[in-house]
Amino acid sequence: MTAIELRGVTKEFADVTAVRGLDLSVEEGEVYGFLGPNGAGKSTTIDMVLDLVRPTEGTVRVLGRDATAEGVAIRRRTGVLPDGFAVYDRLSGRKHVEFAVRSKEADDDPDALLDRVGLLGDADRKAGGYSKGMRQRLALAMALAGDPDLLILDEPSSGLDPAGAKEMREIVRAEADRGATVFFSSHILEQVEAVCDRVGILRDGELVAEDSVEGLREAVGGEETLEIAIEGDGDESATDAVRDVDGVSRVDRDGDVLVVSCADGAKTRVIGALEDAGVAVADFHTREASLEDLFLAYTEGDAPSERAGEAPEEVSR
Amino acid sequence: MSLVAIAEKDFQEAVRSRGMLILVALFSLLVAIFAYVVRPTGQGEQFATEALLSFAVGPFLVTTLVPLVGVVVGYNAVSGERESGSLKLLLSLPHSRADVVFGKVIGRGGALALAVLAGFLLPGLVLFALAQTGALATFNVGAFLGYTVFAAVLGIVFVAITVGCSAAATTQRRALIGGVAIFVLFVVLWGFVTGQLLDAASGLIDPLPVSQRQVRVFLRVANPISGVELLSSAFLGEQLFSGETVNRQISAVSMLVFWTIAPPLAGLWKFDGDDL
Repeated sequence: MTAIELRGVTKEFADVTAVRGLDLSVEEGEVYGFLGPNGAGKSTTIDMVLDLVRPTEGTVRVLGRDATAEGVAIRRRTGVLPDGFAVYDRLSGRKHVEFAVRSKEADDDPDALLDRVGLLGDADRKAGGYSKGMRQRLALAMALAGDPDLLILDEPSSGLDPAGAKEMREIVRAEADRGATVFFSSHILEQVEAVCDRVGILRDGELVAEDSVEGLREAVGGEETLEIAIEGDGDESATDAVRDVDGVSRVDRDGDVLVVSCADGAKTRVIGALEDAGVAVADFHTREASLEDLFLAYTEGDAPSERAGEAPEEVSR
Repeated sequence: MSLVAIAEKDFQEAVRSRGMLILVALFSLLVAIFAYVVRPTGQGEQFATEALLSFAVGPFLVTTLVPLVGVVVGYNAVSGERESGSLKLLLSLPHSRADVVFGKVIGRGGALALAVLAGFLLPGLVLFALAQTGALATFNVGAFLGYTVFAAVLGIVFVAITVGCSAAATTQRRALIGGVAIFVLFVVLWGFVTGQLLDAASGLIDPLPVSQRQVRVFLRVANPISGVELLSSAFLGEQLFSGETVNRQISAVSMLVFWTIAPPLAGLWKFDGDDL
């Protein structure tokens, strides 16, 4: 079964179209990382999955049910860590978790849940006095109540220190091992790489790429990036010559330096092409494309979005 | 189940607030002051519980302060959670928006009722003790307790009206404006507004088999404050649901039920369609 299925979903607000024509499927049991810069429409998408916001067009189905018509039934089997939430200042941490357990008609021990997120020592304190990270842990404990089939985590690491973020990843992993589907959003790629089976990248309300992290890396053709310092005033011909080389996916000009994203074997051809064009190479070195480069390639301007769309499925997992 | 969980959560939150304590203290203090003012001066004169309630506590405390407190307790019920973001936490759990609105009415209405009961009971206990020791000739416990229940009912009705308004409001500011409007309408302007409406609609009423006067009487008891006043004075006069005002009393009761259910429903209708 498909845990989350969006078909042709568009959401228009009064002044902005937050999501347009979005198709997205998250399979049962997978860990799906939902990436994109701030303002890309991630939270709007998650809000539609949770029925906080209704789509202008298209259908949203969660755990086989319609998100709007059967929201309560969906949320009975879903754990949610929302973004930009507030706690009830006057209630203790334990009261919050008790409330979640009771609302889901589950039989978890609130203390066990609090212990799991490392909050047991502060369980009797009023949540109004919690730090941002503690509030995040508290909401996670509430989300884990009732062993949900689906976990939806919106920017789960925000407010957490590195150790907290690591614990968060471990909990995500453990929930996935239990068989739960995990869908989480982030604007930091490193956080998703370690735990995700698949990632989708959202930009301006549209899914520009969807694959495993390795698959995306190959799709961008970024096994390596060449930085070539050229001599002379170097007109456009240098850039054009390199762009025409087979295996080159992207060329940027930064003063005297050409930054070339290319496949492994294309390095010598790039240098050759420059020499053929009469451009003198002063120096060059290679570096591996960082995840950040990869992410930026998709979220800023000239991403090879068509190619990513064609990226072969078999590279995932 | 979901409704009860939310109501309980909201009740717990409300009774933990400092405002709750202030409210109980304020009610106790005012009732005690009024009791002192109307105390029997002459020897052997009886302590008039009914007079205390219908001439002092009633007009000053119940018909203005209780509605005001109801509005204060209710106005931020939904809009406050919406603005802070705790509504996201609440609706992440398997609750419907209807559960949220009616759970709030029950939870906050319950908390207000508790404050009214506690606020009246403390001075009530003192009066009862004085009557027992003979310092006070009589103290009508039944009338005092019964009147307290009417005051609590009025508070709950105002909580319900204001929670409905809070559910419909997209911001705290609008909810506050709505709350103020509700208070002004029912406490200050009711007679004026309904009079104007009646004059404007007289052409519509004439063909109907009711007189202008009947409509006027109905509109008067349609205000929950007048309704509770009517019912409580009938109760103190031992004429509840009997005597010549029985028809008006029934109208008043049905309007109290209406005000408890209709505004939250109207608010829910708006809230249910909103993007949060």
